Amino acid sequence: MQKLVVVALNSLLTAGLYATMSYGLAVIYGVMRIINLAHAGLMMLAAYATWALNDRFSLDPFLSMVIVAPAFFLIGMGLYATVIRWLPRSSAGPSMQSLLLLFGVWLVLQNLAYAIWGGDTQSILTPYTMESVPFLGGRFGVPQILVFVASILSLVGLNLVLRRTFLGKAIRAVTQNRDAAMLSGVNAGQIAAVAFGIGTAFAAMGGSMLSTLYAFTPDFGRSFLLKSFCIIVLGGMESFTGVAVGALVLAFIENFASAYTSIPVSFQDAISFTLLVVVLVAAPGGLPGLWRMLDRRVVAR
Amino acid sequence: MPAESAPILAVSSVSKRFGGLLALDTVSFQVQPKEIFSVIGPNGAGKTTLFSCLVGAVHPTSGSVRFRGQELSGLRNDQIVTRGLVRTHQIVKPFRDMTVADNVRVGVLYGRLRLRGAKAREQVDEVLGRTQLVHRADAKAGVLSIGELKRLEIARALATGPEVLCLDEVMGGLNPAEIQQAMALVRALRDTGLTILMIEHHVHAVAGLSDRLVVLNFGKKIAEGQPGEVLRDPAVVAAYLGDETKEEARA
Amino acid sequence: MGLLRRHPALVPGLLFSAALLVAPALAERGTLNDLWNMAFFVVLAAAWNLLGGFAGQVSLGYSAFVGIGAYTTVLLANAGWSPWLTLPVGAALAAAFSVVVGLPTFRLRGPYFTIATIGVGEAVRVIASGLEFTGGSSGVRMPPGTFDFNSNYYAMVGLALFTLGLVAWLQQHAFGLALEAIRQDIDGAEALGVNSTEVKLQAHAISSALVALAGGLFATNFQYISPGSVFDFRLSLTIVLMPIVGGMGTLTGPVLGAMLFSYLQIKLLASPALRDSYLFIYGGLLIVVMLFEPKGIMGLWERLWSKLPRRRTTAIAEARRAS
Repeated sequence: MQKLVVVALNSLLTAGLYATMSYGLAVIYGVMRIINLAHAGLMMLAAYATWALNDRFSLDPFLSMVIVAPAFFLIGMGLYATVIRWLPRSSAGPSMQSLLLLFGVWLVLQNLAYAIWGGDTQSILTPYTMESVPFLGGRFGVPQILVFVASILSLVGLNLVLRRTFLGKAIRAVTQNRDAAMLSGVNAGQIAAVAFGIGTAFAAMGGSMLSTLYAFTPDFGRSFLLKSFCIIVLGGMESFTGVAVGALVLAFIENFASAYTSIPVSFQDAISFTLLVVVLVAAPGGLPGLWRMLDRRVVAR
Repeated sequence: MPAESAPILAVSSVSKRFGGLLALDTVSFQVQPKEIFSVIGPNGAGKTTLFSCLVGAVHPTSGSVRFRGQELSGLRNDQIVTRGLVRTHQIVKPFRDMTVADNVRVGVLYGRLRLRGAKAREQVDEVLGRTQLVHRADAKAGVLSIGELKRLEIARALATGPEVLCLDEVMGGLNPAEIQQAMALVRALRDTGLTILMIEHHVHAVAGLSDRLVVLNFGKKIAEGQPGEVLRDPAVVAAYLGDETKEEARA
Repeated sequence: MGLLRRHPALVPGLLFSAALLVAPALAERGTLNDLWNMAFFVVLAAAWNLLGGFAGQVSLGYSAFVGIGAYTTVLLANAGWSPWLTLPVGAALAAAFSVVVGLPTFRLRGPYFTIATIGVGEAVRVIASGLEFTGGSSGVRMPPGTFDFNSNYYAMVGLALFTLGLVAWLQQHAFGLALEAIRQDIDGAEALGVNSTEVKLQAHAISSALVALAGGLFATNFQYISPGSVFDFRLSLTIVLMPIVGGMGTLTGPVLGAMLFSYLQIKLLASPALRDSYLFIYGGLLIVVMLFEPKGIMGLWERLWSKLPRRRTTAIAEARRAS
């Protein structure tokens, strides 16, 4: 029982990180119906940027997020202006063209990292990297806790922007119904640029956080991209609360599997990949879709 | 009225719900072989949804559809087409990058007849002949005029060699001369042995062509019978005119 | 003769094939290696194109089939089998796996299918690196005495020609029309009687079997394989880029792409500076193609050709005939 509590708490900590990086994908998909494969490259680049700031200026990785996030917001808007803007928008959902284009961007970003920092594995070491805190019979790493705090802050911030500001409302409007939003006076093009910036900034925050927990190479990011995708599909691709739920579910399944089964850690990635395929096939509406299906069966009309 | 023979198509209590919307509400009717049977009603009445349920593009929430006595629910669209029940689409969507002939060829190769080789080529030519598209056989479907596209849509469905052909508003957007041509085509098709279901708004065409018809409003059947009686039924008239008649009566 | 008039590309194609077949007598080993590599790429690109270009389902997990073919050959050869006999087994296993993967994933549309295939490819690589009997992440080696470059060369070139011929034949007949219909409008195809899932599964099985055969020959030629060499995501990427850059959904597109990429690979391996930039090149190519000419080199060619004066006179003649 106590083990269960520890597993649950670990899941919660992981879920925060997962949610932050997944929101990056979700915002872009919601506003532009584009699946941003470059997300992985952006996370990786942010991880390197955080490492570089730590290496050069001894800046604490969590504090450097204050610099990294806005910088990547601008990078995201720049990416939109130079490349994404030209993509033809198909009303029938995400296009192969956009998918492959962003895939190309991801490859370029990878090469950029190789060129600047080489292919060696990097990691960030801070005074508190090895520290852990005992709680309810388990030990929880300080970096994990800090990551969780940072992710909660970022999510609260996002929520505030989405609900309280005009910009946020415009984003939600375009996500739900682009044409209606435009008729209401929303400049969809500008919103798309900003949304891409926000998505990139969240990818960057995710990457910064990941850099404090894992070692990384330019190749890193692919498994986290797949996890993010799994999460937003689980959460029902157009729902923002869904992403939080999806993050919790995936984090719990992973932690549960490693704690209670003998599946080796290297196979764990296979878990999220399989889950992704299963969810895409069996429940394309994600958990909300499942809920709607159940709801109808429970409440017969 | 033909003597009581087994219906070729029997629709029993078919309902279709989309989330909160009940698009079809226990619709039932039967179609006799070689009949021209029309489905009419105001916009949004559920006519196209009905056709979708018949061919398996959409699965009914409840009820059953029997084609030649065989239960169709649960079958896929392509399975139903190979059994001989096919429909045209209200919004025509040909394979744009294929020639007209190839568009037709798909149905010939994969429909009920599954022809190959020389027989397939003959069937393609025959279908193109019937729909007056022979001179456009090698043109890419993307460059056709709207009238030609509508004929192509019929040609594609015909190519599958159906026994029951469901036409969804084939006369929409046509000028009077074209409507006459279309009506002649429908009659000619019935004379070759096809049973035809039609969704149509042109009242004259419906009255002139149909043996019987059924009227849907808000997903429910409100009338059924021969054109003469049905089109004079006050409930049917009211459905088309909507609240206007009620307001007039109140005033 | 009518056949040649309908397919003018057949003439250079036949000449080229003849050249490839007599090469071992004339060229030196280095060139032969390059030609072998090109043939290898042609098989991968043309086979992938059957599902990806003609049916429109872009799979980013094809290295799984290369790996299945390669590992089947090595493991069975080590158990005493003749390397040639291992090839059909690898092909059959790959086809079976393709059905297992295809059944659930073909319900997904476009990009979702592609993402799912990334997941499948990665899962296969992870599992292969972890299993004991496949040698784990350090790979496995062919038994001694199984290396014979000449026969392998002929086999690879033969496989390339066979693949092209098979794809061309399929494209001309009913199957090709079904694939095209599915690519353009899957619902429309089903509304005309095409069982799209069955057709897609068949295309997937055929193309995966061909790719596995190439994988088996790869194993025999290089004598040593590892998850990093055959289950690599980079390989999946190259397989996809070749037909995309060359022109998906055409017959010559994958061949052009294969030639381009095998040339690129030679250049990249030769110069250390370029080797580190291969991702720039691949990524840049993908971006440029997607932005300016999604139909690849063949698309560009078609666009240029339709602007030539010759085409305009034909249009006028057509109009005259129609009036």
